[in-house]
Amino acid sequence: MKFLVNPSKFNEIADYIFKPVLILSVILFALGLLFSFYLSPDDYQQGSTVRIMYVHVPSAWLALLTYAVMTLYSIAALAFRIPFGFIFNTAVAPIGAVFTLICIISGSLWGKPMWGTWWVWDARLTSVAILFIIYLIIIFMNLSFENRIVREKVVAIFILVGSVNLPIVKFSVDWWNTLHQPATISKLSKPSIDPSMLTPLIIMTFAFMMIGIAIAILRIKTEIISRKSNLS
Amino acid sequence: MKFLNKIIFFFYREYKLNLSGFQDILTNIIFFFVSILIFIFSIGPDEEVISLIGVGIVWALLLLSSTLSLKKFYQDDFENGNLLIIHLNGFSFGFIAILKTISHFLFVQIPFLLSIPIACIILNISDDKFFYLLTSFSMGSLTLSCLGSISSSMNLMNHRNYLLGSVIVMIFSVPIIIFSIGIINIEQNFNSLINILFGILLIVFAINPWASGLCLKLSLENN
Repeated sequence: MKFLVNPSKFNEIADYIFKPVLILSVILFALGLLFSFYLSPDDYQQGSTVRIMYVHVPSAWLALLTYAVMTLYSIAALAFRIPFGFIFNTAVAPIGAVFTLICIISGSLWGKPMWGTWWVWDARLTSVAILFIIYLIIIFMNLSFENRIVREKVVAIFILVGSVNLPIVKFSVDWWNTLHQPATISKLSKPSIDPSMLTPLIIMTFAFMMIGIAIAILRIKTEIISRKSNLS
Repeated sequence: MKFLNKIIFFFYREYKLNLSGFQDILTNIIFFFVSILIFIFSIGPDEEVISLIGVGIVWALLLLSSTLSLKKFYQDDFENGNLLIIHLNGFSFGFIAILKTISHFLFVQIPFLLSIPIACIILNISDDKFFYLLTSFSMGSLTLSCLGSISSSMNLMNHRNYLLGSVIVMIFSVPIIIFSIGIINIEQNFNSLINILFGILLIVFAINPWASGLCLKLSLENN
């Protein structure tokens, strides 16, 4: 597992797994879209709009997952002096921002027919919006510092401070009365979703994850190269 | 005893500095009142509407105007080298952050605390709501000072994008504003919400010396 903390090892492994990951993501996307459009049933209440879930839920999960991994890498980078954590933070923040944006946009497209409004100010929606703004602040911080050493450490500290928001996003549906529904799958008891809908959801989640990993590999490799040539 | 003397001298120095730059603090307060005026003009002088949303306006504008002076939090001391001299006198960076936060609370937030009664008179806010506003702001302003310390120490080396500091403070002050407005609007919940506010204050006060001390150290090392 040394490639997770060592840039040169990461480069070696990344060359091997980049193409398989990309091909796997294409296959999974084709399979997942096939499942979610043709092989899964309509909801008895929501009709065909339930298919927005297959984009909305995976992107939301991955937005949270990306931030959580960034938090872990920040701790590793600050506490154990692993510079790969800084590279990871710089490279991956825009990917998380895009996942959050996809989640927000697909959610509001789903909310218009179901709730009758594009946006409500309940706890889940607001905390996800704050997550998006935190991602944007990380990106802007990465752009606006001149000194690289200061920049990467300050961004890591900011990520740690901002990780307060993660449990708020996860548990907002339990702590407050929200219009957004509580968790159906990621809870301790049995998931309250039918297997015919769970299958495309899982496939789409892995497809999103694979495409995210593929883009992340590209961005991390670029970041390593630009660091070696002292461009930033 | 010597250490205590140093702390007293630190606050004496801060007092002198703030006294010579008193027009800055006054400008903040004038900004606060002028923005209340702008709000009144944009809503219209309907007394019922104003007394309904007045508390929210006051809180939001207090937040906005206390983020205005954030640029001066560490920047002057950082640029003329006083921060390093204070550190060489035996204060750790975390302790400097605590002292600076308290001095920011005393010299920048207390004038706002004094100007709240006037704002409440202008906006027709009732007496009990005024008491809740004062309680929640006296607790929230210290939290805002801590957040200001964190964000301004992060942006010491940031020469391109100064507004980022204010955005960081505003993002993290969302829970404070939610629970403070909750105190004022749901009055039977007073004790529980004041406990939550106090909890947030303690958390931020604990994070503050760690985060700002690390950022100050980084900026001084790489200046």
